Amino acid sequence: MTFSIAHLLPELLGTYGDQGNVEILSWRLKQRSISHEIIVVKAGEKVPTHADLYLLGGGEDDAQIAASEILNHGGALRKAHNNGAHFFAVCAGFQLLGSTFPASGNRTIDGLGILAVETVSATPRSVGEIISIPTMNIPMLTGFENHAGQTRYLEELQPLGNVTTGIGNGLDTKVDGVVTDQVVGTYMHGPAFARNPELADWILTRKFGVLDPIEAPIFSALHDERIKSVK
Amino acid sequence: MYLTLVIALARLGGVISRITKRGSGVMVTGRVLLKLNPNAVTTLSLGRSMILVSGTNGKSTTTALIHKALSTKADTASNYTGANLFPGIATALAENRSAPLAVLEVDEMVLPWAIGQTKPKVIVLLNLGRDQLDRLSEVRVVAATWKAALVGLPSSCTVLADSDDPFVTWAARDWVNVVWFTSGAVGHIDASTCPECGAVLKWTPDGTSYSCECGFRKPSPEWILRGAQLTGPNNQKIAVVSAIPGNAAISNAARAIITASLLGVPLSDSSAAISKISSVDGRFSALKIGMTNFRLLLSKNPASWRETLATSSLGAKNVLLVVNANTQDGKDTSWLWDVDFTPLKGRNVIVTGDRRLDVSARLTVNEIEHVIAQNEDAAAKLFGALDADLIASYTAFHRLAKGVKR
Ligand SMILES: [Zn+2]
Repeated sequence: MTFSIAHLLPELLGTYGDQGNVEILSWRLKQRSISHEIIVVKAGEKVPTHADLYLLGGGEDDAQIAASEILNHGGALRKAHNNGAHFFAVCAGFQLLGSTFPASGNRTIDGLGILAVETVSATPRSVGEIISIPTMNIPMLTGFENHAGQTRYLEELQPLGNVTTGIGNGLDTKVDGVVTDQVVGTYMHGPAFARNPELADWILTRKFGVLDPIEAPIFSALHDERIKSVK
Repeated sequence: MYLTLVIALARLGGVISRITKRGSGVMVTGRVLLKLNPNAVTTLSLGRSMILVSGTNGKSTTTALIHKALSTKADTASNYTGANLFPGIATALAENRSAPLAVLEVDEMVLPWAIGQTKPKVIVLLNLGRDQLDRLSEVRVVAATWKAALVGLPSSCTVLADSDDPFVTWAARDWVNVVWFTSGAVGHIDASTCPECGAVLKWTPDGTSYSCECGFRKPSPEWILRGAQLTGPNNQKIAVVSAIPGNAAISNAARAIITASLLGVPLSDSSAAISKISSVDGRFSALKIGMTNFRLLLSKNPASWRETLATSSLGAKNVLLVVNANTQDGKDTSWLWDVDFTPLKGRNVIVTGDRRLDVSARLTVNEIEHVIAQNEDAAAKLFGALDADLIASYTAFHRLAKGVKR
């Protein structure tokens, strides 16, 4: 069966080159001759409940609220989660999978409640390179973060990584993101998969088991250069 | 202190800074001037017609073209070398005190200050798009500061605003004296939600118009650019000719012609003057490195990369991309993934710059064959005696435009 990737609301959740992650996943699957389809879900279109993997990117205030309303409509995304789908959620996308997130004017907005996390506003903004040691058996994670919200767990959860440089979830937790059976969330925005090819493959492995290696040294070279640049 | 004396002192500071190579003379002169007389810009603006130009992309070029058009009528002061912050503006006005006209390129966040200081006759609002999000504000924050600044304008001021851009429209639409312009630009990467109410903005399928259930919508423009044909109120018509390549250049030339017409310059006079400019501040200028004849192109953000790639695709088969991530470039290279590089397909592509690996990763996924080079010299050796386009991000471009290689 064709592996389906739902790219959710790129025009709302795509502030930091987030569509790059979709392109990279697609490229990595193509290198391995794994047939797949990309379902681009735009505002006003029906959110599919039977895709295999859902990608959510970063977005600004209004866009995040609009996206949250659309994805909550008819419980579409929760249905997808109940159907066993996997999720990769970045920044605003990570926040809106939680119980609440903040918006301008001191507002607190209800999220989708798929993750047991809540996000509060925090100043100053967390901006810059972020490096963390992953809690799974993959190389160090490197990314760039730019967010005004900080996130706490509402129950015991597995972080994606333990932060050595940068803020991540903040609130003195020294961790970034979250890993559950079906969701990987992170503050490494934009094309996190470009710098962390093994993270991309780790998520695919959850669906496919062991994958063939790809001969593409540029991605590991970029990974190593980014980590070195911060040290 | 008398302003003349203050300016003389400030200039001295600029000269000393140039001689001692401590910095650009323009910046130092302006800084000293504003330090000694914080109201210098207001005083220097009195009695002349001020024109301010702002937006994410096209400021320098549009300002230079307006300067050229206005100069057919009267002496015009300007800062069109990109010094668009407080000191650059002060210096431009101090350096030419007798000119009855002044056209100033103004940084987006400095525009509210410049409006307050200069009481402009015309403000040209070009566009607002994502740019260096790691250090600059979100697009709608900038739009909000513009909107607030325009409220304080005297009614004698005209705002020439781009109706294709929802953020510009939103910022300008409360102002009574707006002249709307369209170049038929399609879509907007950051305008997915309504600037007025935050709901999802509805775009027409062809991407040329937008509206929202709250009533916010694209205004009907007085000046319309179709291809190179510009038409305005009262059947005014002119064919826009630009020696600078690309569609953006035609749009900027059209805006310059309209702006000059608001100050009484006939369309044909402006058009004739503008048509001779082929390069502004190093853009599209020539640079020889090794045996290779490069043409320099500047790209700063996703919108300008898209424009530049389209323009460049009509040029030489060889192309060198130089991408840095210094403070002025923005330290976050995520935007590379907002740009579709497929217009490079089939060309001989080399990448260099501090962030060449980021570019290479992007091109790999875009399936664009390319070679990584250590620097521009190494790239030139690979190209040999050929013509090539060199598309560079901000800091690399300005270094190369000054002829500095490394
Ligand atoms: Zn609205």
